[in-house]
Amino acid sequence: MQLDDSTRADARDQALALAAHAVACAVEHGASGAEATLTINDRFGAEARGGELTKLEQSRTRSLTMRTFAGQRRATMASTDLTHDGIRALAKRIVAAAAFVGEDRHAGLPESVGAADDDTALEMVAADVAAREPQAKIDDVLELERAIRRADARIDNSRGSHTADSQATIALVNSLGFRGAYRMTSVSRSTSPVARDGDTLRIGSYGTAARGYTGLESVAAVARQAAKRALDLCGAHRPATLRVPVIFERDVAGAVLGDLFNAVNAANVAVSNSYLADAVGETIGSKLVTIVDDGRLPGGLGTSPFDAEGTPTRMTTVFERGVLKSFLYDTYYARRLGAQSTGNASGGGIGVNNFYLYAGDQSLDEIIAATPRGVLVYDTIGFATEYASGTYSRGARGMWIENGELAYPVDQFTIASNFRAMLAGIDAVADDLRFDSGIVAPSFRVAEMTISGD
Amino acid sequence: MPTGLDHDLLATLLAHALRRGGDYADVFFEHRTAQSFRLQDGRIHEAGLSVVRGVGIRVIAGERAGYAHSDDLSPVALRRAAGVASLIAQAGSTAGDVADLRSRAAPPLYRPAAEASPAGAYVDLLARADVAARAFDPRIAAVNAFVSDETQFVQIATSTGEIVTDLRPLVALGVQTVAQHGAQRANGYCADGGRTAPAIYAVKTPESIAIESARIATTNLDARETPAGEMPVVVGAGGGGVLLHEAVGHGLESDFNRQGTSLYSGRVGERVASELVTIFDDGNLAEERGSVAVDDEGTPGAHKVLIENGILRGYMQDRLNAKLMGVASTGSGRRQSFRVMPHPRMCNTYMPSGTSTFEEIIGSVERGIYATSFAGGQVEISKGDFVFMVAEGYLIENGKITAPVRGATLIGNGPDAMTKVVAVGNDGRLANRSYTCGKGGQMVPVGVGMPTVKLASCTVGGSSVGARG
Repeated sequence: MQLDDSTRADARDQALALAAHAVACAVEHGASGAEATLTINDRFGAEARGGELTKLEQSRTRSLTMRTFAGQRRATMASTDLTHDGIRALAKRIVAAAAFVGEDRHAGLPESVGAADDDTALEMVAADVAAREPQAKIDDVLELERAIRRADARIDNSRGSHTADSQATIALVNSLGFRGAYRMTSVSRSTSPVARDGDTLRIGSYGTAARGYTGLESVAAVARQAAKRALDLCGAHRPATLRVPVIFERDVAGAVLGDLFNAVNAANVAVSNSYLADAVGETIGSKLVTIVDDGRLPGGLGTSPFDAEGTPTRMTTVFERGVLKSFLYDTYYARRLGAQSTGNASGGGIGVNNFYLYAGDQSLDEIIAATPRGVLVYDTIGFATEYASGTYSRGARGMWIENGELAYPVDQFTIASNFRAMLAGIDAVADDLRFDSGIVAPSFRVAEMTISGD
Repeated sequence: MPTGLDHDLLATLLAHALRRGGDYADVFFEHRTAQSFRLQDGRIHEAGLSVVRGVGIRVIAGERAGYAHSDDLSPVALRRAAGVASLIAQAGSTAGDVADLRSRAAPPLYRPAAEASPAGAYVDLLARADVAARAFDPRIAAVNAFVSDETQFVQIATSTGEIVTDLRPLVALGVQTVAQHGAQRANGYCADGGRTAPAIYAVKTPESIAIESARIATTNLDARETPAGEMPVVVGAGGGGVLLHEAVGHGLESDFNRQGTSLYSGRVGERVASELVTIFDDGNLAEERGSVAVDDEGTPGAHKVLIENGILRGYMQDRLNAKLMGVASTGSGRRQSFRVMPHPRMCNTYMPSGTSTFEEIIGSVERGIYATSFAGGQVEISKGDFVFMVAEGYLIENGKITAPVRGATLIGNGPDAMTKVVAVGNDGRLANRSYTCGKGGQMVPVGVGMPTVKLASCTVGGSSVGARG
């Protein structure tokens, strides 16, 4: 099988040229400042289900985003029309739209104009992504499908197995002279077996992601973990309503950290939409809570040399032994709140780089063994909307723990608390941290939460 | 208005896509323009414009689908995309057929604006919302509002010989408020709009949307902790329809059912809910947010009976799954953009009115929760377990609505909950047009609706363990 691969080499030049063209168009139409990001992403995806390859996708995705300033009035645009004329026409319209924006003394490009530095130490590109043949990727998903079915007779169906990779080039140009570009690769594989549990179906999903294929968990390991998740839940029932310790397994622990990010996002803090507004310097978490955002972690999936405004990325300590040290800022919210940008500008707002909770020194098994009674949560459903109040409530499933052992599976219950109490209640952190996402955490235990079941 | 691709080019691309074989091919052209304004701290914080323009080309061969897209509209680039999509066909197949192309426009279903609104008109809407929210209660500490106006032109050409075009307007205005009293904070949110013109805000005024948001925020500020445990739950008319969307709707999308991975797989004709339960999905409701005159595969939007008096009647189908199941598409093939393949999705999902009055329903509850609307929900399709975050909820005690409660979630199992519907109100209506559904990473606008409905019991997740703890 041959897939077209002819146009990748010129991506960096093309991206920088289009970004520069966009900035020039905005300035020409009267913008006092402009900043354009051009992304070119060559993506491959394959899905198999049963013995068949069911989906095959390959495309080059290109997109332009630009912020323009008319003095201290800001306007943004995004486009997939990358013709020179298309960019020019939209630039004219966005400069005109900026006239309707209120003056905001904090709006503007970052002051510092540094050249982008050498980024090879950040290990963002894995050579094996370009080198791997499409047929090898297809063989991977077909083998995932076979492996989950071999795992247990109860697994005879699936939602499919997936693999995807991308080779992206990101170029940033602004009217103050910043000009930088970098490449990055990423790959993933995942599977979702469905197990028969009497009249019920149990789905287990597991995936792995990294900068390159050598960084992924093996096909066999992914299949084994996904099958375990489906099978572990067979026979699950609803627990009683009561208060017990809750252990968040690694993946769901990362999801909790994702919710926490919303409260340290300076854009939410600035508009009172955070339960941590005004809390810098306060002891919020237990001594085990040290959380950082590191934009320069070698090989990290959130690593980049500079953020969406060209500000160099860095390491920011957000919580240190429970004390809230810093929010995460872009240039605008840093000016507004009297701080420095932490290099977290992202997609027109504020985002994480590599945001993670420091690992502890116990294994997850040791934490379970030290829990007389409680619940080990595998995953949750529902999502955060209450950043203002800090209320936490999610549907959950996992394993009941009695006398330090996994006793039986449980589902259809909620776990609830509020974030301040949860952070203060973290009394054990495991050693199983892995960087397979931009937001990760090791497994951890919260001393007490409300379980709502029967 | 964009015109789409030339018909000869479309015919060439379809033939190229099927040259290695395959049952079907389609070319999806999209040109979407949107503008938006955001208000924060009492002033317009940001203006935004966006253009999404490109082409997606798909080849279906049995259960297999090949896909490629291009933002470069040159014939060379599009031909390359067709070539990539064609790779899905099995080696050695003979080329698939392309019928002669005939074009048609989708029937009128929306109310597009007669002319573009000046930017100042949107800015004025937001300023009015800001003033109204702050005037509602001095405890409103922050107001964030947005307005967006989008027009999506689509052109779909199929190897079965159709070229269909549709021009879809979509406006939305939303107000998020934060109420603060001491260290206590609470959110409110309200939005409305539809596949219509901004003129709708002369009727659904920004003041009414802002005041509703502020009312929810201040109600939640005063709310007490939610008691946890199993109890009767009354779900509010309109916004309660999120329950149908999550607990039942996703499980009736045909991809999961064709694969045999939905709990509703193979159960058409069986009783799956209380006989009080009838659920429709409709793509043809004028101006509703989830409506499509034609779906993203060119099939006309339709009224579908999903469940009738408790009996499962059918699934929501796109072309691929319909063909594999030997039925017709129901006009449910939707996609976020030209960059992704369509899959079966809901349009406007709702339950028609029953016979109970609101007072009868509330009066029948000794102790339970009245959930007027949800901030969001999620379902696990294979088993049907769901969770909903209650945006505005109240305790019901001795047949009366008493105190507001905060942070409540409902958790349960879709099919199980549908057997527990013991009363359906006579007050059925569609919710505000503000919902967006995510599935497989693709977001599409949808509508929901419902009368007041009583579930005999449901698990309420709260943060305080009640008497039973």
